Amino acid sequence: MPPTGSETGVAAPLSGVRVLDLANEWGILAGNVLADLGADVVAVEPPAGSTARRLGPFRDDSGRAEDSLFWLAYARNKRGISLAIDTPDGLELLLRLVRDADVLIESFAPGWLAGIGLGYDVLAAANPRLIQVSVSPFGQDGPKANWPATDLTVTAASNYLLASGDPDRPPLHVPYHQAYLHAGTEAASGCLVAIRERRRSGLGQLVDVSAQEAMTSCTQSFILSSAWNDVSFFRLPPGPTRVKVGLSGVYPAKDGAVVIGFFFGSGLGPLAVKFMHWVYEEGMCDERDRDKDWVNYMALLNSGEETVEELDRVRGVLERFTSSKTKQELLEGSLSRGLLLSPAFTVKDVIESPQMAHRGYWQRTATGDKSVQYPGPFARFSASPLQYGPPAPSIGEHNAAILGGELGLGQRELEALAARGVV
Amino acid sequence: MNKALEGLKVLDLTWVVVGPTAVRVLADYGATVVHVETGTRVDTARTAPPFRDSKPGPESSACFNNGNAGKLGLLLNLRVPEARTVLTRLIEWADVLAENFTPHVMRRWGLDYESVRAINPRIIYLSASMMGQEGPYSNLAAIGNVGAALGGFTNVVGWPDRQPSGPGGAYTDYVASKYITISLLAALEYRDRTGEGQYIDLAQAETAVHFLAPAYLDVQVNGRLPETHGNRSPEHAPHGVFPCLGHEQWIAIAVEDEAQWTALARIIGRPELAEDPSLQSVLGRQARLEELEAAIAAWTATVEPGKAEALLVAAGVPAHAALDSPAAVADPQLNHRGHFVPVEHAQWDSMVVEGSRFRLGRTPAAITAGGPTFGQHNDTVLRDILGIDDATITDLAIAGAFD
Repeated sequence: MPPTGSETGVAAPLSGVRVLDLANEWGILAGNVLADLGADVVAVEPPAGSTARRLGPFRDDSGRAEDSLFWLAYARNKRGISLAIDTPDGLELLLRLVRDADVLIESFAPGWLAGIGLGYDVLAAANPRLIQVSVSPFGQDGPKANWPATDLTVTAASNYLLASGDPDRPPLHVPYHQAYLHAGTEAASGCLVAIRERRRSGLGQLVDVSAQEAMTSCTQSFILSSAWNDVSFFRLPPGPTRVKVGLSGVYPAKDGAVVIGFFFGSGLGPLAVKFMHWVYEEGMCDERDRDKDWVNYMALLNSGEETVEELDRVRGVLERFTSSKTKQELLEGSLSRGLLLSPAFTVKDVIESPQMAHRGYWQRTATGDKSVQYPGPFARFSASPLQYGPPAPSIGEHNAAILGGELGLGQRELEALAARGVV
Repeated sequence: MNKALEGLKVLDLTWVVVGPTAVRVLADYGATVVHVETGTRVDTARTAPPFRDSKPGPESSACFNNGNAGKLGLLLNLRVPEARTVLTRLIEWADVLAENFTPHVMRRWGLDYESVRAINPRIIYLSASMMGQEGPYSNLAAIGNVGAALGGFTNVVGWPDRQPSGPGGAYTDYVASKYITISLLAALEYRDRTGEGQYIDLAQAETAVHFLAPAYLDVQVNGRLPETHGNRSPEHAPHGVFPCLGHEQWIAIAVEDEAQWTALARIIGRPELAEDPSLQSVLGRQARLEELEAAIAAWTATVEPGKAEALLVAAGVPAHAALDSPAAVADPQLNHRGHFVPVEHAQWDSMVVEGSRFRLGRTPAAITAGGPTFGQHNDTVLRDILGIDDATITDLAIAGAFD
């Protein structure tokens, strides 16, 4: 049996690591990842609340900061304080917290922290072991570093925007703030590399993450096409696209949609052949369609022996087949026949998935008056399983515990700071 | 040279995209990564475009070289029993083993975690798969675009009047890849503290759920399933991708507040919209989105994307041309960041791969080589790293271990 718990008393990879998480939506996932790994992550919000709380959807569509499901999802496992770091008192308190911190994550506009007197040099002077992780749309420097940007515009800058959508309409953005999230995972990786390096040098450093660069990996190297003197797949006209991806795509099912990988070539072509045998067995295609040389179909198209029109006809055959079946029937066929095919699961399907139930994936966390299933461990660690603690903090929820308990501020001082709008 | 992960030893049994890309990050920061492959079943990544000069070939794939830059390449056919002696030596040597075969493959080869741990108790062993190592769907043959269907992504991308189109490419690969890197580094930190290695079972579909977490909460809290909205956003309006002058030229524009809306309306030559009080709120603009989008598109269609972008950005409106590959490779920001790195390669005079997606100030990434050619480092790995003598290497070669 693998070890199921540490014999050394260290519960998690980052037990005892203190993270000050000043990040807004651009870097919010980084702290979430580090918290799942056991770090003590303290979200530091302005007294009015993080701008990440403006992102929906919202509980009961209220639009209120405390009801942002974006915040509830990505501030889970963190504690939270409110602090106006752009006031002299707030700055002083933050510097006191920095002295005992391992990591500071921020995603303000590049240069903003330095402008209020909290540049990396100041923070590193207060604590040379501090790792500062800075997340921004385009990176800390360069001609676009201070461009106004959103998740959508950064995706456009990454080349990935051209990868999605229908050929007769504009390219499509993948919703739910993917660029922020990719940037957040890159920030977590960079932070972990810096933590490991600090073990040797004893020194922190600055980790600089650009969301534009974080998104480029989604192009699967197609961003390099012109540097390699090749043409990208993205937004090719329909004919060549179909030649290159075969009959792969989204098809209608009786109660939703199904995604099929139907590729030509020796690697994945045999799976297309297996699929055609199923269609034939169900009486939905003839022997001629079943027995086309799907493995070598690309060559047949190139030689003119087969045509894109003929491929379109077969797509119609496949559509009639998938339309006659439910998602569940298609899933069972895929599992029993070993096909490259999956129903397009809704989020409800995924929550009810017997696979995830088998793995004990979902983690219940109180959310208002409801117990809600949150995404579980992003990976199953045999010796140091990821651990889930509190729901996302309300604004300033842990002011007393951290500013009072740790920094030793008395009740009266906290009240005075609150009166001046510092906490 | 100050390398953050100097001395780290990685046995990389991964293939295609998700695993190799994740492990490459360790090589970027100084780890010694031995990438094992066989010539008898060529890595799909070597058959994936883009290709050098548009000509397919196993040493010509940007996908393979970008995902395996800086690794040592070892040809080793794990289906040949004699190859196992070499693999055992590599397991003894390694701090980390990563693999992403279909779940039963490593077990069938007798290379499950228990067996590997018996050889090297401190090893960190990561298995990445689509659905996880066990469970009713664990053997689902799922790669590429099918992963998005399993993770809930297909249904959130598309136009409301059409069937969903799903995200482009093998989207969940790109999500899972980042969590693989994180998991390996986290397990190393744990081992540095405790001396314990461990097994990591990472399911791609489970990582993908994290990138849709608010939708998973929405369905439970509000009982609402996500719908497709094209490029429209619940928070910002207008929010879209508009056609520009030229063939397949597009610009993304996102209006976050009233000041940006006013600036945009003036730039597109519609001052009366800028002054319309009913449009001075998100809700007001959302109520008239079709009209506003048509007004924006009427202007963008007359302007080149670079010019539209410059005008909008100067006025404080978030906007960016949808860069295609030539425009991205020429992008001043990506070039300022050193995103495109010329590297050496055994077969080609020069080659360009992507740089690290994060920058460490004191111990930066060092990316100097593309991916290995077939068996490029067999000598280095067998002789220099493992110290295997020539006679044994010859015997192994005759047995087909290096095919």
